[in-house]
Amino acid sequence: MKKILIIIALALFSLMSCGRGPQLTFMVGGAPNELAYWEEVLDAFEKETGISVNMIRQASDTEQRKQSILIALRGQRPDPDVMLMDVAWIGQLASSEWLEPLDDYNIDASPFFPSIVNLADTYESQLVGLPVYVDGGLLYYRKDLLEKYGYNKPPAYWSELVEMAKKIQAEERKTNPNFWGYVWQGAQYEGLICNALEVFASAGGGFLGPEGNSIVNSPANVIALQTMVDFINKHKVSPPNTYTDMKEEEVRQMFQNGNALFERNWPYAYGLHRAEDSTVRDKFDTAPLPSFPGGSSASTLGGWHIGISRFSDMKEEAAKLVEFITSYETQKKLAVTLGWNPGRMDVYTNPEVIEANPNIQNLKEIFMGAIPRPTVPYYSQLSVILQRHLNAALAGNVEPNKAIEAAHTEISKVLEEYAK
Amino acid sequence: MQSKFLVQYEKREVRNAYAFLTPILIVIFLFILFPVIGTLWKSFYQDTSFLPFEFVGFRNYAQILSDTKFWSALVFTLLFALATVVLEAVFGLIFALLLNESFKGRGIMRAVILIPWAIPTIVSAQIWRLMYDYTYGIINHLLTSLGFIADKVSWMGTTSSAFWALVISDVWKTTPFVVIILLAGLQAIPQDIYKQARVDGAKMFKRFRSITLPLVAPVLLIALIFRTIDAIRIFDLVYVLTGGAPGGTTETLSFIGYNYFTGDIFGMGSAISVITFIVSFMITILYIKLGRFEKNIK
Repeated sequence: MKKILIIIALALFSLMSCGRGPQLTFMVGGAPNELAYWEEVLDAFEKETGISVNMIRQASDTEQRKQSILIALRGQRPDPDVMLMDVAWIGQLASSEWLEPLDDYNIDASPFFPSIVNLADTYESQLVGLPVYVDGGLLYYRKDLLEKYGYNKPPAYWSELVEMAKKIQAEERKTNPNFWGYVWQGAQYEGLICNALEVFASAGGGFLGPEGNSIVNSPANVIALQTMVDFINKHKVSPPNTYTDMKEEEVRQMFQNGNALFERNWPYAYGLHRAEDSTVRDKFDTAPLPSFPGGSSASTLGGWHIGISRFSDMKEEAAKLVEFITSYETQKKLAVTLGWNPGRMDVYTNPEVIEANPNIQNLKEIFMGAIPRPTVPYYSQLSVILQRHLNAALAGNVEPNKAIEAAHTEISKVLEEYAK
Repeated sequence: MQSKFLVQYEKREVRNAYAFLTPILIVIFLFILFPVIGTLWKSFYQDTSFLPFEFVGFRNYAQILSDTKFWSALVFTLLFALATVVLEAVFGLIFALLLNESFKGRGIMRAVILIPWAIPTIVSAQIWRLMYDYTYGIINHLLTSLGFIADKVSWMGTTSSAFWALVISDVWKTTPFVVIILLAGLQAIPQDIYKQARVDGAKMFKRFRSITLPLVAPVLLIALIFRTIDAIRIFDLVYVLTGGAPGGTTETLSFIGYNYFTGDIFGMGSAISVITFIVSFMITILYIKLGRFEKNIK
């Protein structure tokens, strides 16, 4: 009797799973409030078009999100149809021919930041993604403290930043022994590369030249790396655990607890710093990151882009979803509910958006000039090499010029490998 | 050889034995043998999504073996294994001997000592991370307020302090495993031998060296083999505590493999896994040879 019951149950189960046709699937991750936002968006989409969407919830960790998308695409699964991708992966996904070109689907890319669409979303002159929200590195500073010590504007040069940080740190330490001048992301991970690119570029350096050759060993980079090392070891305005522990959240908490004068972070920190329980609520402002004399301020481009899987079994519907998510209305909602910075430029003048985020106009300027990380398919390999050598220099294990030289040699080797 | 062993059983019994073993053999094949062979196979291929999938022979291995990063990771991994296994053997033995004595609350102590082992490494690693934390960590707080050090220390800041931080966390977590196995071994030693030794006038240390240690050695060996293999594939502690910093000097073999896999370079990742397997395998053989395992087991 038991056996028969089990067999019946199994038969029913297999019937149930057979009956399902393809379903539009959207893969996205993030904090609970972000996932709640996406659910609302998908509900609205279903109401408008009658297409139901299955949402696959991912972790909030970027690396884990990448892994689960890679596994699905490697296996050529029909799901997910639509997914959000970090700007740093697009090169790899596109060159693996995993992304459906959007040109055939009547999608208009003109309202979006043209520089970002060009640099990040175009692969071999085909449009493969659209920016849903954009990010860039910013300098957060304590305007109350700058005023208190007689400075009327944030630093324009790194040397000014060091000077202000040294003076104010020494004074503030008298009452707060945990106070630091400048906090930024220096741990051995992707965030270090974003920070380094900003300092390198503001000295006129960078990672790859226009022909895709390594310019890692340019003298500007050595000066820039020396400056970063000096923050920690010479001027001691950045904590000694910068190169081991400091990631976005560690840095944000230090600044938010009132333990830092300057902070390098992404725009997401803005809303959190302004929250009611924040000790720096009305005491801070943002500015472009400093530069070297003769160079110009640089911000690393971050953010998430939307794309369609090449293996999708519902491409027409997927394109509709992409269109919906990147529409003016949805992008406006993104800016108002989550406080994020939309990929569409026309949303930035909307009064509701400005009211929700008064800082957004400044951000627009910064995003227009934001520098992407190299969009080559083997970027993650370059990143791993740079992470190790730059971090070794920050730790004081190697001289900056030696670290730069070693990174250049290894990167040139990788480039040679792939040029074959 | 096989028939010699089987001849003592009836044919029907042998058939039944095979029938009972079949399910577990299928499981072993599907979930252990198949992935291992798959990894070995993949390590001879270029398997990167944006490059053609092709057979490359030993190229992945050649690339890894010519990479200084690999050798420094290998040395770091072996040193880590050596340090943790030695400390675990010493502490494991001490705790097992203590818990083998009869005292009030022994039952509870035996249960309590297992707690670190029962906590998932990723969780205990996070707790250690908070304790080692530069600004808010309890270790810096205690040491500075008790006056042992004047300034706070960034524990993960240098390779050697990060190494010992990793070792301490691992020893804390896995000593209970050694304790439990040794405890089982200690209880198998007949009490008569000790009584006899007492009659013969052997002192406590003499009894330990001549009776306890030799009789518990085979069990200790098994525990250490398990621990060594585990230590060689260490990943989670490094991932949480150091992330490879400073400057990649605390990267282990598994950590390098992880970087290859997340970089979508599956061929190289597989090759690193195979190398890790070979290293563990050789060390196990070394243990068995040095410990004259076969003789001891008999």
